[in-house]
Amino acid sequence: MPKKDHYVIIGNGPAGNKAADVLRENDRNARITILSDEHFSFYYRHKLCDFMSGVIDEDTLKVKFYKEYKEKNIRLRLGQRVEKIDPDSKTLFLKHMEKLRYTKLILAVGSAPRVLPSLLRYKDYFTFMSNYNDAANVKSMLENIKNPIVIGGDLIGINFIKMLSRLKKKATFFMYYKSFWPFDLDIKKADAIRLSLEKNNIKTISGDPVKTISRRDADYIIETESGREIEGDALFSFMGRIPNIQFIKGSGIDTERGILVNEYLQANYKDIYACGDCAQIYNLELKDYWISIGWENSILQGEVAAYNLLGEHRIIKPMSKKIFNVEGIKVKTSWWNQLKT
Amino acid sequence: MARKIDLVIEICGSAGEGTISAGEILSRFMSSQGFEIMSFDTYPSEIRGFGKCVAHSRISNQKIFSPGKNADVLVALNDVHSISQLPFLKETGILIFDNKPLRYHEEDKSIAGWVEPGIISYGIPLHELAQRAAGSSRGRNMVALGAIASLFGINAKAFEESIIKRYSKKSRIVIDSNVNSFIEGYKWAKENITKINGISFESPGIKPSRKKREIINGNEAVARAAIDSGIHLFAGYPITPATKIMEILSKELPGRGGVVIQTEDEISAIGNVIGAGFAGKRAMTATSGPGFSLMTELGNLAIMAEVPAVIVNSQRGGPSTGLPTKTEQSDLNIAVKGGSGDSYRIVLAPTTVEECYECTCLALYLAEKYQTLVVLLLDFFLSNSIRNIDSPKKPAIKLLDANKAPGNRDLKSYKRYKITGTGISPRAIPGTPGGMFVSTGLEHSEEGLPRYDSETHEKMTEKRYMKIQKALKEIPKPKRSGCKKNIKVGVLAWGSTAGSAREAVAEAEKCGIRAAFMSPLSLSPLPVDEITEFANECEILLVPELNSSGQFADLIAPYVYKKIEKLNMVTGLPMPSEDILSKIKEIAE
Amino acid sequence: MKEEKLYFEKETEDFSGNIRAGKIIKEVRFSDNPRDIKYVSENIPCQKACPANTNIPGYIRCISENRFGRSFELNRMYNIFPGVLGRICSRPCEEKCRHGEGDLGKPVNICWLKRAGADLKSPWHRNKENLYASTGKTVAVIGAGPAGLSAAHELATHGHKVTIYEAMENPGGMLMYGIPEFRLPRTIVEQEIDNIVRLGIDIKQGVEIGIDIKLKELLKQYNAVIATTGCPSAFNMNIPGEELDGVFSGFDFVKNINSGSSPNIGNKVVVIGGGYTAIDCARLAIRLGAQTVSVNLRKTEEFMRIDEHEMAQAKNEKIRIYSLVQPVRIEGKSGSVKEIVFERTRLETDKSGKGRISVPIENSGFAVDADTVIIAIGQHPDAGFAGSGIKLDGQRINTKQGTYKTNIKGLYAAGDCVTGATNVISAIARGREVAQEIDELFVKGKRKKKVVRFEPSDTTDRKRSYDFIPQVKMPTLSLRDRMQNESNEVELGYDKEAAHKEAKRCYLCYYKYEIDTSSCIYCSACIDVAPRDCIKMINEVELNKDGTLGDYIETSDWQKIAAIAIDNKRCIRCGKCYEVCPMDCIHITKVELIEQNLEA
Repeated sequence: MPKKDHYVIIGNGPAGNKAADVLRENDRNARITILSDEHFSFYYRHKLCDFMSGVIDEDTLKVKFYKEYKEKNIRLRLGQRVEKIDPDSKTLFLKHMEKLRYTKLILAVGSAPRVLPSLLRYKDYFTFMSNYNDAANVKSMLENIKNPIVIGGDLIGINFIKMLSRLKKKATFFMYYKSFWPFDLDIKKADAIRLSLEKNNIKTISGDPVKTISRRDADYIIETESGREIEGDALFSFMGRIPNIQFIKGSGIDTERGILVNEYLQANYKDIYACGDCAQIYNLELKDYWISIGWENSILQGEVAAYNLLGEHRIIKPMSKKIFNVEGIKVKTSWWNQLKT
Repeated sequence: MARKIDLVIEICGSAGEGTISAGEILSRFMSSQGFEIMSFDTYPSEIRGFGKCVAHSRISNQKIFSPGKNADVLVALNDVHSISQLPFLKETGILIFDNKPLRYHEEDKSIAGWVEPGIISYGIPLHELAQRAAGSSRGRNMVALGAIASLFGINAKAFEESIIKRYSKKSRIVIDSNVNSFIEGYKWAKENITKINGISFESPGIKPSRKKREIINGNEAVARAAIDSGIHLFAGYPITPATKIMEILSKELPGRGGVVIQTEDEISAIGNVIGAGFAGKRAMTATSGPGFSLMTELGNLAIMAEVPAVIVNSQRGGPSTGLPTKTEQSDLNIAVKGGSGDSYRIVLAPTTVEECYECTCLALYLAEKYQTLVVLLLDFFLSNSIRNIDSPKKPAIKLLDANKAPGNRDLKSYKRYKITGTGISPRAIPGTPGGMFVSTGLEHSEEGLPRYDSETHEKMTEKRYMKIQKALKEIPKPKRSGCKKNIKVGVLAWGSTAGSAREAVAEAEKCGIRAAFMSPLSLSPLPVDEITEFANECEILLVPELNSSGQFADLIAPYVYKKIEKLNMVTGLPMPSEDILSKIKEIAE
Repeated sequence: MKEEKLYFEKETEDFSGNIRAGKIIKEVRFSDNPRDIKYVSENIPCQKACPANTNIPGYIRCISENRFGRSFELNRMYNIFPGVLGRICSRPCEEKCRHGEGDLGKPVNICWLKRAGADLKSPWHRNKENLYASTGKTVAVIGAGPAGLSAAHELATHGHKVTIYEAMENPGGMLMYGIPEFRLPRTIVEQEIDNIVRLGIDIKQGVEIGIDIKLKELLKQYNAVIATTGCPSAFNMNIPGEELDGVFSGFDFVKNINSGSSPNIGNKVVVIGGGYTAIDCARLAIRLGAQTVSVNLRKTEEFMRIDEHEMAQAKNEKIRIYSLVQPVRIEGKSGSVKEIVFERTRLETDKSGKGRISVPIENSGFAVDADTVIIAIGQHPDAGFAGSGIKLDGQRINTKQGTYKTNIKGLYAAGDCVTGATNVISAIARGREVAQEIDELFVKGKRKKKVVRFEPSDTTDRKRSYDFIPQVKMPTLSLRDRMQNESNEVELGYDKEAAHKEAKRCYLCYYKYEIDTSSCIYCSACIDVAPRDCIKMINEVELNKDGTLGDYIETSDWQKIAAIAIDNKRCIRCGKCYEVCPMDCIHITKVELIEQNLEA
């Protein structure tokens, strides 16, 4: 008896879910497993801010409910982190010490918050707003926060600080316009943003980066390069996102900033595909590697990866012209346009 | 506003991993904090090996009557066993598991892999933390308790002290390694786990009663009652689940002038008890199904010779050696009817731990007063389940000295088996001047001499029957709850199933079903009047019990004049109130 | 050292693989049985990984006992440059350290402990040289690099008269010229070279063989000649523009700075290559005042041959790493570098078995401004000294299989000139080996032999709590102080306390734990305290074809258990089982691979 295929998808975001749906539509019999290290169902990441501030509830946040996975006979394993991949034996090593074997693998692991190298040693002090857990966590903290500090180098950070100011928090915003993500801001744009924030009563510090961070009781003390001292009772970092691929390094799967895939989204092993925020592709038009960020992109790539895994040869094309350069690689974005309004 | 908290925590592991003791420590501690608790353990019958153990405890700040069916929290000390326990975890339950076992699990051999979305799983490196705390994996049950304390807002300092107290008689190393493991688990969970459940025993509004209460299980209640009722002799042969009674008495009784004998078998044990009874001392034995079978013949002697004797039968799965560590209510027939001839005896079936105490006192009293065999029917569940109860009231003086001794007039021409209006004859203790008599298992005359004529046998059988019936008025009447009239479904339950039945009826009422509950304490003599009356008031009568044939249903059948709905289960587990409830719903339609 | 009975087991009985009763070692024993040799290589992974087979657990234990001098000497038995290697070793041992396995944490910082032994020993430390009587034989060594000095030292201790010919002004080779001073202070190199030369070794500096003296002369003059000329020539990219001003080879760049010159490099420095030299060049460039320094890789960071400490330091010094790029040409303006044009590459699997290679992507060129371009893509040997008569493998000197003999009679060759560029510790190891081969020829027989030494022990020397000590970080100089003077050493070294702490982390894998099945009562108390799956209930033991013992076959069925056994490949020597065993049936034996003097 031939053994059933086992398609494993790492990542329960838009790319992973789209891929799973396509696989199921085209293969009734295969085992399909989605692995995610989050404890919460597939949700809209861009709505996290609204969820946290109480504008929307948990169910509105969800894209998909558990029963939908059951109906499609997709096994959803939540709260399970993959720690290691062995492409030769086609085995995943999960954090909780279980081996999981696949016949074909889709990496849709998305991205994780970026931390500036100069602030890396203070990583443990930062609160991030990257996933449901973070949001729920911040939501529970929010009531007790009075004067938060936001270290901001991306547009979600700006959104977040505006939300804090609406909630009448005395917030301080460190704007890192020179290492803004995904594109560096020029001083003119930075000034415009600063003025608009200050109009909203947000203390904005621009061009005076953090030198040291220390703790005093429950508070965080920031000393800047120019010697200013800022105190706050919570510390948030928004420095953009980078592909979440640390666990893949060393497995034999080629990675650089993201997972290196060809135009079919196939990695250097023929049964492994990558899609969404973690896939790095050489683009003929741009003559360079790029990583696409954003919801629509992820869905498109999830679909293409799934069809190619099933034996087709679909080629991924860039979707939008908005391309920015982050740390020497091109990043294509589409979703923050909506955030600005 | 008072908030309700009602949590079922299950710890599942392999024999030897400290599963049961962790459950017991948790239950005892939570009840010392004033919570209502009800625990239940399942463990393998074999001492050596790696069988599955489950310590199940329900913790609440409300009054509870059953252990609860599905768990809110499952703590997996052993993955393979716990995977089979996972179906009993609620859909939105919480799983605590070891995410750093000594080696990689193959696919689907890790419990984490089986968790359905919706269940929150917290991985805790139990092995590693235990190793770190005490250099041994043994303490991982304590690490798990520490994690539980952190995850569910349990006072860790007090918990720690209770662990120290629990091991206070052990060596320093044992205490330290347990306590350190606990602290390690607590700290780790506090620092590393982002709580995503809202459960906390420290939430404002959760006010457990701070009244001083007893933490006790059925076996302990029986042993305590036996001491408080002044028994002089306990004879027994160890058998699960009754052994604990002998264990406790062997520590307590000798210091109080009593004697505990471990006999060569159960026949000898009941023989010793009858001997002591004959000599005028209160005595008791405790056993389970197989031992009880052996005792039936000598039990008949106690009935025939009218010697006080008390047998505690903690039932387990049968027949024969059966299922030593599983609960069942299948000894009712042998307890009520077992034996040759018309062997009338008293059979009491307590439904709660409180009643285990009360019934033991009552049994020793009734045996002495009515000069006969009294059987106390417990079961595995009731024997081992830990509860938080109000301190039991010590038996009244009246209950402690019940022997109807012969007066001077009686002693002039002493008739040990004199026919009286009550059926109770004056009982001389051997050594009483003038109170000499013959005692025999043969049918006998009032003087005690063997007689086989029809008339004597008729009179004596009638006498032995009558005194048992008279005893009924001294036994508390059946308890009732639920609707008083226009009852759609009446649930009649006995023994340990009564609690679940009572809860199910309360739930059914909340669902708009007119339901009522009754449970008799006495199975022999049977409170026929109350049972008939209750049956008449109900449209449908349901009898849930843990045996396959419906032994209690059959016992009451002649008195209820209607078809009885039976709910029988032989899963080896206590009957869940959820199952009774769905049966009520089903038949109410 | 303790006086011990030295005798050698002649029979082929082995001591390592036995779990049977009655085989427990009760006194010091020696063995050259292949099974025992294999046991060491499987169970002491660091020693096996070390090209020189240094007794790593031995010298680390000395540090935890405060015997820094002894630790230094244990090193010197195999490696005459402990102070140097304690700084710049490529540390193959750490990759194999059991502490770094899976979930056990991070490897022991073996290298830095070696340095602690060297740095913290008494300044009046007494070197031990087990000197053999003078033989009257003479040997010439060409090249005073690590391999040459190592060979010279070994020969000198064996009583032969050695003369080294060195083309450069100072001895030391790559140690002196190829490694920047901020990684390796010259005083350390000089002192350790002095320690070698003291044995009566002549170094003729500034003498280039083939030019100043012909090889033939040497062969006539000496009983043997060893070529340890290393890899002094840099590879070219062979791209247009390499001849422009401002283009350096990595080796020349470092060598010039080490020789005291200070090139003008401008603001933008582009380094090509992914090895130690490339990173060294980049870090030197930063120190020389460059504003932006990038290291450009044809493949990705994963394929760099460099350890993570070095990498982290480089990133910390704000050096940027770019992957998947390949230089196409260097553009100049009036003879100097202006920009460098790269192409993007993609990774492919090479069909001829080279593994992953980079392939340029057509039409993907882009230019990067540059004032200086440093090409550090490797070095190769240069056998010009020998003239045309020498047999080569490409640029490498050919030696006869299994020996260090070249095709020229009396000429031996060892180190990087034979193997191509490797690392210092390999060069040192090969230097010793070629010396021993020559010695064997001179005295017509072996004087030393590798054997396994067994010694029963009644102590574990460890506590379980040591296993949870995190890696002790290396204190480093602040960024500002690094830039102040380019020769300031970046890594400051452990102090005594830090060295102790780190030394405690070592599992001391040279201890072997075994259960004497004749007194084991199967209580499984040891299994309860086992830190990982190191104690197993086994049914049988696999037997390999070569007669060595293989893996344990486990069972969980009580009926089938033949023994409870300790799997020394999994054991972390925490000593817990030894502590709890109620029957004292766990035995500890110290197992060391040593060089034994064969003289009766």
